[in-house]
Order: sequence, then structure tokens, then C-alpha cells
Amino acid sequence: MPFIAFAYLLFLAAPVVLLGVGSFGETWSNTLLPSGFTWRWYAEVASDPSFRRAFITSLQVVAFTCALNVLIGVPLAYAIHAGARGGVRLAARLVTLMPVAVPELVLAFGFILVFSSDTLPWLGSFWLLAAGHVVLTLPYTVTALVADMDQLRLDEYEQAAATLGASFAARMRDVTLPLLQPSLLSALLTVAALSIGEFQLSNLVAGFLSRTYPVVLLQAFYGATGFACAATVVLLVLAVAASLASGAAARIGGARGSGGAA
Amino acid sequence: MSLTYDNVSFIYPGSTAGVFDIALDIARGELVAVIGASGSGKSTILKLLAGFMQPDAGRILVEGQDVGPLAPEDRRLGVVFQNYALFPHMRLWENITYPLKVRGIRRAERRARAQEMLARVGMEGRGDDWPTAISGGQQQRVALARALIFEPRGLLLDEPLSALDAGLRTSMRDEIRRVQRAAGIATLLVTHDQEEALSIADRIVVMHDGRIIQTGTPQELYETPVNAQVAAFVGQSNLWPGTVEQTGRVRTPIGTLACPTEGYAPGAAVTVLVRPERILPAEPEQPPRVNDFRGTVVADRYLGPVRRIDLSVDGGLIRLETHARGAVGRVSIPAEAVRLLPGADAAGTRS
Repeated sequence: MPFIAFAYLLFLAAPVVLLGVGSFGETWSNTLLPSGFTWRWYAEVASDPSFRRAFITSLQVVAFTCALNVLIGVPLAYAIHAGARGGVRLAARLVTLMPVAVPELVLAFGFILVFSSDTLPWLGSFWLLAAGHVVLTLPYTVTALVADMDQLRLDEYEQAAATLGASFAARMRDVTLPLLQPSLLSALLTVAALSIGEFQLSNLVAGFLSRTYPVVLLQAFYGATGFACAATVVLLVLAVAASLASGAAARIGGARGSGGAA
Repeated sequence: MSLTYDNVSFIYPGSTAGVFDIALDIARGELVAVIGASGSGKSTILKLLAGFMQPDAGRILVEGQDVGPLAPEDRRLGVVFQNYALFPHMRLWENITYPLKVRGIRRAERRARAQEMLARVGMEGRGDDWPTAISGGQQQRVALARALIFEPRGLLLDEPLSALDAGLRTSMRDEIRRVQRAAGIATLLVTHDQEEALSIADRIVVMHDGRIIQTGTPQELYETPVNAQVAAFVGQSNLWPGTVEQTGRVRTPIGTLACPTEGYAPGAAVTVLVRPERILPAEPEQPPRVNDFRGTVVADRYLGPVRRIDLSVDGGLIRLETHARGAVGRVSIPAEAVRLLPGADAAGTRS
């Protein structure tokens, strides 16, 4: 068993380590490891205007996606949890899970068909791209929240708060949202990681000026190996940073919620 | 009257289950326990009073005010939930004073009121603890303090002791009673534990299939149950189907019993109730007394102060409780210990 675990970790980690090594190597062709040491590739990635723009775009898309997941996901999950019963509940769950079941390519082709028409000529815009990310990630938020709401016995706490005299707004502020904060945090981590790495839909839907980082990254592999490695490491750092930032944002929001309860 | 059910009915949508024609008054300072098997509707009447559900017919009054149009938050009723529902993200003092916070009372005053309330339930100095860091009994006290701090018009307790250990349960009964008395508040307690109800309540309501089948003091329910269901639910009992043969004699599966039969004509179908502690063991060579039975012991449970024995006799089983330590093979049932209940609806002996 330890051997299998070790092999699995090696299998996971080796490409990442090789990318890291490759990004600092001066030349790397037909050898196991690169030779020489240089910062050059990172400098090139940093000065490349299309990579710089894609980097910013990705951050903007992630921020927008996370914000909309909170604004839409929390009320939607709450409505499913509190209001929907039996068949309606099942239908609501199916609809929210649809974007996970449907391949991203199908969704992207659908977007292309609908939004390249004269009445809705939005293909290639930043907002359509971000909306696509929201559609793809919302199911994870809603599913995680609904499951946690049931598991937390949220309705019991809400009933208790009601008998103690708390209005709906007060219950939301003092009980529901603070209790949901950890679930929301972990949901947003997933959302941020998905949005940063998303390629299929972005590649088809993004306009020339609104390409996300993974879309631009594909082109790096037609050029120098070191440059491709460095660009990929940047994506990795970006993904980790986005996850941490969304986590921190949720924690600050939650702290405000429980601070209000004190 | 402080809390009143005025012929309240409620049917769960899409079913025939619910509660029907509930009429009940609870005076200020009085503690009324509602008991019944699961599905009898006892929790439903608590939810109707708390405002989580709306009655289909009838009215619910709190201090004379019809609370039908009021949401739970506007009813001013303190509720202690089965699992206490203490907010896990608030400290104990924040939990206790949450009702004051939503009423706009300032933090400094809330802290002071919390200390006072914690002292009342015997938890001085624990205000800064988290709910997850205290025992079940302590959570119970905090939940009680939280439900009483805003001087509610009634107190509703939903199976408040079911989550506690047996030993703690007995002392918490006294604790709840003490705090409730001190607050002088009309209290509705829902429980499936008849012993808890007998020991804590001023009056007990027995529910079956959504209806109240008897209301009375603990003693009334135990001594004079209206039917076999109440007798079976409150305390231990021997219940036998019987027929009145003639005045003073009733035929049962275990033989003919001599007993008072006032109110029943010869030929009437009855249920015979005998409480186990009223049955007397007899020495083997003693001259026969009234209602004398011989049998073999099939179960002998030593409970400390008493033994609870099942004696198999011709035609059935006699359950008795006795202080006697020796062998038991012969018993007598005093005539005055026999109570006749209407109808032969006892399904054999049940406890």
C-alpha cells in the first residue's frame, strides 16, 4: 500500500516538478533534464502583451464568477432547501446539475449558435465569457450548499431563532449566513479552481481581446519549451492564488456576519 | 387562561393524519405534559402553538389573544427544542441574549442580563464558553435560559430530556420544574416518556391517533384511566379482556375474578385492569384467599427496590411487582385492586 501511494504521488507531482525545472532551464531538447539556469522565460512571459492581458482577464473572470456564485447560488440553494418539496425539488436539482452532465463543448456550441445572431451579437465579449463560467460553476455551489443546509439542520436553527423573536432578515444575518459560511468558502475554492483552469468553453467563446490565460497558454507550446513551462507555472500560481483569495474573501464576509451577531 | 386550544384541528396535506378537536387550557404557572406514542399528534400541537404550522380549524389563544395571524417571531413564546438548537457560532451569553439583541437591547445590558440568567440556571461564569464545549445537561440549561430571558407568555418544551443520560434526566426534571415554577409561566411539555410526565406535570394530556383521550392529574390518570389505551400508556399494567358474569364476578382468560362491578350489567364486555404492584405473592401452604392463582415464573427482573415478575398461569400471564425476595409461585389479586374499563379492546396484556 505505501508503495502504491508513493507511486501515485510521484505520478501527480512529477509533471509539476518537471515544469518547474523546465521553466528555469536555458535549453531543453531531447534530454531528460534541461541544462543551464535562467530567469529569461519568466521575463518573456511577463513582457508578452497577450499573456499580460490574458492574466488580467482570467483574474477578472474569476472574481466575477465567484461574486455571481455568491449572489445567485446562495438564494437559489436556500430556495431549493426551504421551499421546494418532492417533484419540484427533484426538478430544481436536475436543472442545476445539468451544466455538469452536459459536456462543456455542447454548451459552448450552444452559446456560439445563440449569441452570434444579429439579435444577440455578444459572442466574444467579456460578459458572455464570464456568464459561461457562472453557468459551469454554479451547480457546484448550489449542490454543496443544499447538501450542507440539510446536514446542518438549518431549519431547526431558523425555527429556534424565529421563536426567539428574530425576523426573516435578522435570521438570515445572524443565523443562516454565518452557519453557511464554511460551506460557501469551500464551494468558492472549487469554483475559483474550475474557473481558472477552464479551457473548452473559454477557447470557443472568448473574443480575441478577452481570452483567458489557459486559452493563450495553448499557443506557448508551439514555441520554446522553457517559455511554455514558465507560462504554465504562472497558471499554477494563478490557480492557487485565486483559491486562496476567494477563501479569504469568504472568511472576511463570514467574519462580518458573525461579528454582527455578537 | 394563559394558553388555550379552542377546538383546534390540523390535517397534514395529502394524508388523513393530523390532530382533531383539540381543546385544552393551560393556566399561568401550570405545567401540562402531553404524552402519546409516536404519531399520536403530540408534537403537532406544539408546532401549532409555536406557529410553525397553521390550524385548519379552531383557534389558538395566548393570554386571550388569537395568535392565528401571528408569525412565530411575533408570538412571544419560548421554545426549547429536542436538540436544544443552540447557535454553534455564538458564545453561551450571545445565545442566551439573542432574543434581547433582536429587540434592540444594547450589548452592555445584554451581558449583564446574561450573567443574571446564567446564575438562575446554575451556570455562573460560563458565558464565554462555546455551545460545543459544554455537556448535554448544560446545553439544556442554556436553552432554557434563552427561552425564558425575554419573558415569554408561554414555555414550550419539545422532548427536552430525551437527549440526556438516564441519570441526568431525573435531576434535570427537578431543575426544569424549579425554573418553571420560579418564572410562573404556563408550560406545555411534549414527551413520549410517561414516567417523566407523571413526575413533573400538574396535569397530563394523553393523545392517541390525533385526539385527546384523557386529561387529568398524574394520580387521576394512573388510578382511574378512562380506557385500556390510557391504562397501557401510563404506568405498567395487566389488561385482560373480560365479561361480567354476575354482580361481583368477571370472567377472564385466566379465570373468574371476584371484584366490584358497579356500573356494568351482567353480560357486559369489559377490560380488566390490575396494576402489578397491587398483586400480592402468597405462601404455598397459606389458606386460599380471594382470586388465588398458581403458576410458574417465566421472567424475574431484579430492579433493586422491587422485582418485576411475569407469572405464567392457565390462560395467560400475570405481571406483578413485589418487594418479596423469596420464590413466587402463588399470588392473590385483592378484589379492590381490580378496575373495570369499558369495552374488550385490550389486545392481551401490554405494559
